[in-house]
Amino acid sequence: MKIPLSWLTDYIDLDEPPRAIADRLTFSGTEVEGIETVGSTYEGFVVAEVRAVEKHPNADKLSVCRVFDGENELQVVCGAPNVQAGGRYPFARVGVTLPDGSLTIKKAKIRGVESFGMLCAADELGLSSDHSGLLVLDAKWAPGTPLAKVLGPPDTVFELEVTPNRPDCLSLTGIARELAAVYGIKRKALETEDGKRKTEIQTPVTDHRSLVTVEDSSACARYTARVLEQVTIGPSPEWMKQRLERAGIRSINNVVDITNYVMLETGHPLHAFDRDLLAGGRVVVRRAREGERMATLDGVERELDPSILVIADAERPVAVAGVMGGAGSEICEKTARVLLEAAWFEPALVRATARKLGLSTESSYRFERGVDIEGVEYASRRAAQLMVELAGAKVVGEVVDTRPAAAAPRRLSGRFQAVRDVMGVALSDAAIADIFKRLEIDVQVKPEGAFEAVIPSFRGDLEREIDLVEEVARIHGLDNVPVPHPRAVVDPTAGRETTVRAKGRLRAALAGLGVSEILNYSLVSEPQLDLFDAGNKPNRVVIPRPISADQSVLRPSLVPQMVETLGRNRAHQADQAALYEIGRTFSRDEAGAVVETDRLCIGLMGPLGRAALDRRRAVTSEEIFLWAKGLLEALARGMGLGALDVKSAVAAYAEPGTAVELFAGATRLGTLALVDRRIRKEWRLTDPIAVMELDASALLARALKVRVFSDIPAFPSVARDVAMIVADAVSHDDIVRVIRAAAPPELEAVELFDIFKGPAIGAGRRSVAYSLTYRSARRTLTDDEANGYHDVVKAALRKELAAEIRES
Amino acid sequence: MTTDDIQAVLAEAVAEVAASADPAALEAARVRYLGRNGRVQDILLALREAPPDQKREFGRLANEFKNGVQAAVDARREAIQSAASVASFDVTLPGRWPGLGTRHPVTQIIDRAVEIFSQLGFVVADGPDIETPFHNFDALNTPAIHPSRDPKDTFYLDDGRLLRTHTSPVQIRVMQSRPPPVRIIAPGRCYRRDTTDATHSANFHQVEGLYVDRKVSLADLKGDLTYFARQMMGPDVKIRFRPHFFPFTEPSVEYDFSCHVCGGKGCRVCKHSGWIEISGAGMVDPNVFKAVGYDPAEVTGYAFGMGVERIAMILLGIPDIRMLYDNDVRFLKQF
Repeated sequence: MKIPLSWLTDYIDLDEPPRAIADRLTFSGTEVEGIETVGSTYEGFVVAEVRAVEKHPNADKLSVCRVFDGENELQVVCGAPNVQAGGRYPFARVGVTLPDGSLTIKKAKIRGVESFGMLCAADELGLSSDHSGLLVLDAKWAPGTPLAKVLGPPDTVFELEVTPNRPDCLSLTGIARELAAVYGIKRKALETEDGKRKTEIQTPVTDHRSLVTVEDSSACARYTARVLEQVTIGPSPEWMKQRLERAGIRSINNVVDITNYVMLETGHPLHAFDRDLLAGGRVVVRRAREGERMATLDGVERELDPSILVIADAERPVAVAGVMGGAGSEICEKTARVLLEAAWFEPALVRATARKLGLSTESSYRFERGVDIEGVEYASRRAAQLMVELAGAKVVGEVVDTRPAAAAPRRLSGRFQAVRDVMGVALSDAAIADIFKRLEIDVQVKPEGAFEAVIPSFRGDLEREIDLVEEVARIHGLDNVPVPHPRAVVDPTAGRETTVRAKGRLRAALAGLGVSEILNYSLVSEPQLDLFDAGNKPNRVVIPRPISADQSVLRPSLVPQMVETLGRNRAHQADQAALYEIGRTFSRDEAGAVVETDRLCIGLMGPLGRAALDRRRAVTSEEIFLWAKGLLEALARGMGLGALDVKSAVAAYAEPGTAVELFAGATRLGTLALVDRRIRKEWRLTDPIAVMELDASALLARALKVRVFSDIPAFPSVARDVAMIVADAVSHDDIVRVIRAAAPPELEAVELFDIFKGPAIGAGRRSVAYSLTYRSARRTLTDDEANGYHDVVKAALRKELAAEIRES
Repeated sequence: MTTDDIQAVLAEAVAEVAASADPAALEAARVRYLGRNGRVQDILLALREAPPDQKREFGRLANEFKNGVQAAVDARREAIQSAASVASFDVTLPGRWPGLGTRHPVTQIIDRAVEIFSQLGFVVADGPDIETPFHNFDALNTPAIHPSRDPKDTFYLDDGRLLRTHTSPVQIRVMQSRPPPVRIIAPGRCYRRDTTDATHSANFHQVEGLYVDRKVSLADLKGDLTYFARQMMGPDVKIRFRPHFFPFTEPSVEYDFSCHVCGGKGCRVCKHSGWIEISGAGMVDPNVFKAVGYDPAEVTGYAFGMGVERIAMILLGIPDIRMLYDNDVRFLKQF
């Protein structure tokens, strides 16, 4: 909402600079989002009379005017469509600079015609954004009158953000009340507020009881109507136009402007009907009938239904209640009799209607939030008064008011101590009571520290003691709330924060292993998931109304985005990357219930495990697989899981033969695989990519387990090597298994230290060499003992794997 | 030879050894003094010929000479060898050890926030990303007609559940599960139907704080958030409350930190206001307590939320929220 400061001072005396006033509003809860200066002192601008207008000889849209500026008659070229001989307009003489500094007027030749100055539109004067034509000035201003005298001094406009609980602040009166409370001063009463002018605007002649029928009184709890006759429709006076424009409302004509003016002043939306265009000259507040149609003021033909409350005349709807009037009963030049509506409509109903019609107006905005039902009649009276003054209207008859008796004000009881406790501020009872008084809340002090507050009708938001606490807090000032030292309080019942700490350990381990963390969005696209695993379609959690197809499924796996991330980095010329993400995945179980699982995904690309000077060779599948496996083994040890087992598996996105399931003991941790070429092609990834996806809870399960000490060996070990040639079909796992089965308990470790393939070995075979470590926990082993163990191992390898042992 | 002569020969020998430029010269010097025909023979001869009462003194000097020269030779050999080894490889070659990985800025901020509030005794709580309207809205005193419930702003699933729009439902879950007092910090991912741009993202992270006990006050909120601000942003950071409105808190505030870059004088980071808007907070609305079965006459509490991406962007000077989800390694390696 826009509030011109010059208008605001009609209701309250303010002598602080605009910036200070804005801060007071912001820090009492009405945020000032912008402060704009409009107008200027208009040095060198005067009122000019256009004495003659001729078409420009060389341009269709330009005119050549004879302009009298009070001293000289000048030739001025003008492009405005509304320039007319005899009209008075703002005129900038040669040498004058526009208020925004964008242009200094010079003597110019425009399409071959000389021009000595500029006739101005509202935007050029910094008054509004209107550039549709020249600003038309009243004929009463003599040519040569300084423009500052016509437009008044420069003004400040506040752009306010009013919170939804404070509809009372959607008006100048409401803002004046706030400032009065903040500054602790009295605001100025309006002329008609105390009823002083009430009799002047009433001529009780006609009985209007049949004027208004309310069929749905829950949707319209109050409806008032006034009849005004002998109305002369015309432009509003300059001051009113200016105020409305500064508040962001276009001036239409005096009667419509008055309804808007009073709405801004009081917060009550009003509507003026041309009574002669109302069938039967009366209004009925009712639900629209099925199939009824109506053209609203914006020229749109709208289909209505019984969920919508309308104002109808004797025959048809003439307004959508609280939202917008109808084109059929609009105030026009010929209007002479006005029916002035001021009413209260159900907020939820107005909101639903506005949404259904896709129509949000100044009126609906206020009704939705709730207007003060007790202030309805006053707003009507104020508008009627202005119509009498500014449109020559005569008020005919008493006001029709469907709810003439005011409801008793709401009374709230509260405790002074509760105010202090919630705020944490030591305020006296008297200081609290004073704040209430400043807010126009009457307070009666009760025994035992209690009070009773009488809530003004315009503060429908104050319903509970806590609401009153907030009032005290914001008026006392949140800056005045002390900043105590924090109190650390230990919760003895709190469990150990295992997940957070374990995740911390996991992240530290990954960082140590050279893997960097990424974060991807939770919402992914169907085609991307299909690319990786079309088979999981039934288990996906789909968002019925996504923002875009790109973000339509909650991710069932972290793998697709990991591969995409590697691909994107490859496109940015990264030749290697080791990345991980810890994130939540979503899928449906067999019963269709959604399961959320936290997972860890690691992706590897490039020659990560190579020596520094050996990075140009293409990475082989075997290499990157084994780096990934080595990384996982290190991670598993770091997370207290011990040795990893792998089992061949199938993954939809895996290069055939490269997927394995990972186990720590009996616990399945997840999957390691190389990404299939078909998928890599999408991101032009030519080299192999390894991805691992692990269940976070399994991975974290033992991270914080206390690790019990075991003895450091007291006796030396004896190492024996065994080199052999085996068929390719014999795996490392096979060899280790045979060695372990054959060797005595003194075998401590088996380590592969060489592997070789080549013509010397022969096709389909490879040479492998292992170092075996033997150790006794009780004594030093002799050479003979170690040789004895080793011979048994060699024999087993020969027998079970047909290994050719290479004796050195 | 007198004892003084021996001292002089020792000094001469030490000087010559020290002046030897290479192993050959050093060996020649050693032989000249300690060799079979070296100067040491003169000294041993003098020892043999010395009168009995001076034998002891000559003996000591002869030993001193042998040891002194040998020590000088050893020291010089060491020096020559290490001088020779200096030029044997290029010390300016790049080092060889795998590098460290980096942490994502968002999880760094989350962990830091959790750590700071842990110092005050807050414990971590978690909740599901998919929530019920009860936990996300109803129990948080959000009116049935509140705009935030609109499917334009919130992602709904077919079964009526939704993707949580804030971490506040964790408050509800925790309070439902246990009696007061409660002191929790709940980091997590949230979802809103915002079109992604430089400052908006359809999913983002929040850290939620909740403290419920007897006589928890707005001043406590201010004190604790000030502590957080100073730990997170810098020791001189101040905090400012502006009254606001949220359904789940009353009184409600928006809180700002004084700019950690300019100290409040005004700069590009704080858009010359000296303050940086952080997020919303307030005193837990009594209706929220009622929804979880707490007695609002017995306890009060404060709650706050903060946008993690926003804090990361402010603290680390990241201009666009999308950079946090691009996962460009050139970006990630900076943190």
